Amino acid sequence: MPLDFAVIQPHIARMAAQAHTQSLADRLREACELLRSVDTDHLRQVLREREQSDRIPWLVARPREEVGAAYPPPLPCSDFSVVASDGSVIPPDRHSPLRFFVLNTGLARLTYGQRPDAHLWARSLFCAGEEDLYINAAGRRIPVEDARLGLRMALEELRALFEAAQEAPANGPVLALRDGSLIFWALQNEEEAVVRHFLPPILDSLERFQKAGIPIVSYISYPGAQDVANSLRLLVCGKDPPHCGQCAEASTEERALCRALADFRDQALFLRHLQPGQRSALFDSTSAILDRYGEQRVQFFYLHTGEEIARLEVPQWAMQDETLRGFLHAAVADQCRRGRGYPQALIEAHEEAVIPSTEHRLVEQLVEEALAAQGVVYVRSAKDRSKRERGI
Amino acid sequence: MERIGEIVATSSNSLTAVSFTLHQPPALGSLVKVEEGRRTVYGVVSFGTTTGLDPGRRVVRRSTEEVFDAAIYAEHPQLEKTLRTEFAALLVGYCGPDGRVHQHLPPQPPPLHYSVCTCEADEVVRFSQQRLYFRLLLAAVGELPPEQLLAAHIRETTSARGDDQEWLAAAAREVAALLKGDYDRLMSLLQTIEPER
Repeated sequence: MPLDFAVIQPHIARMAAQAHTQSLADRLREACELLRSVDTDHLRQVLREREQSDRIPWLVARPREEVGAAYPPPLPCSDFSVVASDGSVIPPDRHSPLRFFVLNTGLARLTYGQRPDAHLWARSLFCAGEEDLYINAAGRRIPVEDARLGLRMALEELRALFEAAQEAPANGPVLALRDGSLIFWALQNEEEAVVRHFLPPILDSLERFQKAGIPIVSYISYPGAQDVANSLRLLVCGKDPPHCGQCAEASTEERALCRALADFRDQALFLRHLQPGQRSALFDSTSAILDRYGEQRVQFFYLHTGEEIARLEVPQWAMQDETLRGFLHAAVADQCRRGRGYPQALIEAHEEAVIPSTEHRLVEQLVEEALAAQGVVYVRSAKDRSKRERGI
Repeated sequence: MERIGEIVATSSNSLTAVSFTLHQPPALGSLVKVEEGRRTVYGVVSFGTTTGLDPGRRVVRRSTEEVFDAAIYAEHPQLEKTLRTEFAALLVGYCGPDGRVHQHLPPQPPPLHYSVCTCEADEVVRFSQQRLYFRLLLAAVGELPPEQLLAAHIRETTSARGDDQEWLAAAAREVAALLKGDYDRLMSLLQTIEPER
């Protein structure tokens, strides 16, 4: 057994004890009370003032509706379809003599109502060309890997999702669902050539949904975001701009809540605030990358799925349209009910997307055989070979 | 003749097929066939099962107070694509290019991915004219007690032959001869093929 559990176990117990103290539970109750009773106009004003006077050190959410509101889902229509996509990749392997990656987009189209139907499939893409593997930045080659590979996968998911949505039966509205965020904040850490490579086609895909009138929803299960908690923190803090390091002036009580809000995820607040099926108020994300989204700027709300709080990110054109907003709220809540807490269509898309380790190895074997046919011996790195052999 | 499934496992004495229709494998004990060029292989359906397509996924409860039984499948249309019904058949004979029926194991297993088809009544009549293959069914090692499988086959065949009581009596005599040394198994079989039952 490689792990020494005798060493680890006491630390786990200590960590668990610290995570559930009475004072933390009290703070959470206070934070929820603040969420319930906050004066939304006052919060908007504070946000405006702070944004003008200085940069806010945290990512905050701007409320589009009353912050303490909770909306039940409208009744879902009887006939509708849900299409979903999810992706899985075989990334470039540093230990392989050839550079390539494989993208597998899993797709599910579920139709409900008079003529229930299901279509589950996957779309595979093998990428080994220069234009797939590298982004050209004024003669420099930036490899498509890690976060950039994630962006490429997201783009393929969006494209495949749109095509799948277009093939949905015409009797009833269509909801397009994908797993993960629509706010591609990873682009903020990339150089301009990478942003220019990925963002226009992503926005172009979103625009196609807009033109077709199909709401596209990004679904985040158990979200780690703190945007709303951070906004509330500005109210508690009272400093302009907040300087957490020199905060001795604030009363102990205020400071305790402020510090607790710094640790609370939005989902912890909304789990106590919302009833199953209800959504939170609508918020604008202030993520810097969204300044380049134009008409496709993303808004979000939280949804109580019956099991947990999920975050739904949607382009503003769909959120601002009352009919589309009602439909997507009802349809996602309905999906979570059918999927026992997680959208059924995303479950099926994920199942289609997964690349089992046996298939991963088969791809390597096919590459090996193709090279052998050309008279080339496929030599992997010595480190990789030793890991596979695991000789004693 | 109707195509009802596709062979996904095959061997010298049995085949397994995925049923084209969920929850509707051919009747236990019924005669099915695989046509392969000029050869037709016959089998007796020996088992049926419906499971998840992916063995890694667990089948979970779907019913509620309002939605149960058939309504579950309308509420969860993906089930039609994520579940599958399979059936197995024991090979009991074949018909070669000369048109003669042989009631022993075929020289080669039927090919993978070929279709399994139902047999029309006249074909059942023709194949069951002789009953040498009863020994193959009684000797089979499978999920069901062999005498129960043979009893199911006799019931199905009697019915396919238009409630042929003469054939049933001959089959019962044949079974009595085969199981003369095992009173318990014989009785358990005969009790399940009695016409009044």
